[in-house]
Amino acid sequence: MNWMQFKLRLKGRLGFFGLVFLYALIVFGCVYSLATAGDLSMGRNPVANFIKTATEFARPSFLDVWFGDPAYEYKSDDGTVLRTENRQEVEHQWLVQLGFATWTTFKIATLGSLLGAILALPFGVLSAKNIKAPRVLTVFSRLVLDTSRSIHTLVFGLVLVGIVGLGPTAGILAIAFHSLGTYGKLFAESIETLDMASIEAVKGVGASPSQTFFWSVWPNVLPQWVSSHLYLWEYNIRDSTILGIIGAGGLGLLISEAVALFQWGRLSSILIVVVLMVTAFDAISRRIRTALL
Amino acid sequence: MSTNIIDIQNLEMVIAGRRILKVDSLHIARGEKVAILGRNGAGKSTLLRCLNGFVKPTAGHIVVNRHTVFPLRRERDLRLVRAQVGQVLQGLHLVARLSAMENVLVGGLARMPRLRSWARIFTNEETQRAQAALKAVGMAHLAEKRADKLSGGERQKVAIARMLMQQPELVLADEPTAALDPTAADEVCELLVKATENSTLITVVHNVSLVPLLSQRVIGLKAGEVVLDCASHELTQAQLDHLYE
Repeated sequence: MNWMQFKLRLKGRLGFFGLVFLYALIVFGCVYSLATAGDLSMGRNPVANFIKTATEFARPSFLDVWFGDPAYEYKSDDGTVLRTENRQEVEHQWLVQLGFATWTTFKIATLGSLLGAILALPFGVLSAKNIKAPRVLTVFSRLVLDTSRSIHTLVFGLVLVGIVGLGPTAGILAIAFHSLGTYGKLFAESIETLDMASIEAVKGVGASPSQTFFWSVWPNVLPQWVSSHLYLWEYNIRDSTILGIIGAGGLGLLISEAVALFQWGRLSSILIVVVLMVTAFDAISRRIRTALL
Repeated sequence: MSTNIIDIQNLEMVIAGRRILKVDSLHIARGEKVAILGRNGAGKSTLLRCLNGFVKPTAGHIVVNRHTVFPLRRERDLRLVRAQVGQVLQGLHLVARLSAMENVLVGGLARMPRLRSWARIFTNEETQRAQAALKAVGMAHLAEKRADKLSGGERQKVAIARMLMQQPELVLADEPTAALDPTAADEVCELLVKATENSTLITVVHNVSLVPLLSQRVIGLKAGEVVLDCASHELTQAQLDHLYE
C-alpha cells in the first residue's frame, strides 16, 4: 500500500470515525450530566411498584361488566359501609362512555388529517424544487412547513384551546396544523420524484399541458398522496388519543381521568381500545396502499 | 414548397461554454430512413431532441414538417409538430402506472377533444384502433398489464404501438434496442421498420449491424459535427473506424 492509497483510505474512515466519536461524546455528555445531578434514579422501590401497576393493568376494567361484584361495598377504615355500587352497571355505563370517546377521537383525527392535507397542498406544491416557484414563495412555504412540523400537536392544542375553547374543534385544528408540515413535505417529495420520462412520453405526442397533467402527473402523484394521507391519518388517530388531556375531548379525557384517580384497570381498557383501533386501521390502510402502489 | 420533412440550418448548441452541436446544413427528405451514428456524447440524442423541441439549441433554424421548431413562435406550434412526430426512446418511455392499452391510447391524445381526454372516455373507433395497434406488435394479450410490469422488449413494442396509434409522419428512435437481448432487439427493429413503412424514420444506432435493416442513409456525428453523410450500402469500415476513433 503506497502513501496515496493510505491517504484515500484514511480520509473516508477518519470522517466516519470522527462522526462516531462525536456521537459517543454527545451520549456520554447526556448520561454524565444526568448522573452527576442524581437524576438517573428509579425511585424508591421500582420492582414493587412495577408489580403493583402491572397487576392492576392485567385486569382491564371492562371485565367487570361480566365479572364485577353486583353489590360492591365501599367501606371506611372502621368497617362502616359507606356506599354499595353495582360494579357491572357502573362499568357498563363507563364502557358506553368509552365508545363515544373513541368515536370523538376518530372524528378529531379524521377531520384534522383532511384539513391538514388540504392546507398543506399549496405549500407542498410551492416548496417542491422542480416546480421552480418564485424563490420567496418557496422559502416561505418551507418555513411554514418546518414550523408546523416542529411544534407538537399538544402545544398547538394548548394554544388553540385558549382561542377556540374546550372541545373537539381545538383538537381538529391542532391535528391539522401539526400534520400540515408532514403532509407538505410528503407532497413535495412526491412531486420532486415525478417520473420525467413519463411526462415527456405524453408531451411527446403533442398533448396539451392539461392533458399531460391528467395523463402523466396525476396518475404518478395521486397514489402517493393517497398513501401518505392514509399513513398520516393513522398516525393522527394515535396522536389524537392524547389530545383529550388538554381538553380537546375524546379518549384523552378518559385517560387523564383514569390517571388522576389511579384507575389503572380503566387505563388498561382504554389502551386496549387504542391498540385495537390503530391495528385495525393499519391493517386496512396497508391493504389499500399496496393495492394503490 | 420543400419536399424535405426536416431542414436544419446553422444549428449550434453551446452549454456552459462547451459546444455540443454544430450542424451547418442538414436536410432529410420525406419518407427517408436515416441512421445516426457516433460515439457517446457526439450529440446524437441532443440532435434528435432538438427536432421535437425537448432541447432548445443556442442558435440556428429548424423546420420540421413545415413548422418552425426553432426559433419557436408559439408553444402551440410545438404541439402541432409533436403530434406528427412519434418517438421510440430507450428505457421506460411510457407512463409507468398506466396499462399498455392506456399507453397506446396516449398516442391519440393530440387528436382528442380536451374534456373527453381528461376523463379518459374513448370512442369505439379509438379503442379499436388501439387494440389493432397492440395486436400489430403482438401485445394484445398484455393490454391490461401495467407498463412498469412489462419487460424491456415488451415496453418498446408498446411504444411502437403508441406510435401506430399516433400515425406520425416522422419517427424519432433513440437507441430503441439498447438494453435488449439480441432476439428482442431484432424483433423490435423489424416491428419498427414495418410500422414506419409510410413515414420518415430517424434512428440513433449503436449497433452498426442494424444499420442496413433500419436505414438507407447514414449520418455520422463527431463532437457535434456531421462528418459522414452517405448511403447505407456505401458505408465502409474505414469510415466507421474514423467515426469511432
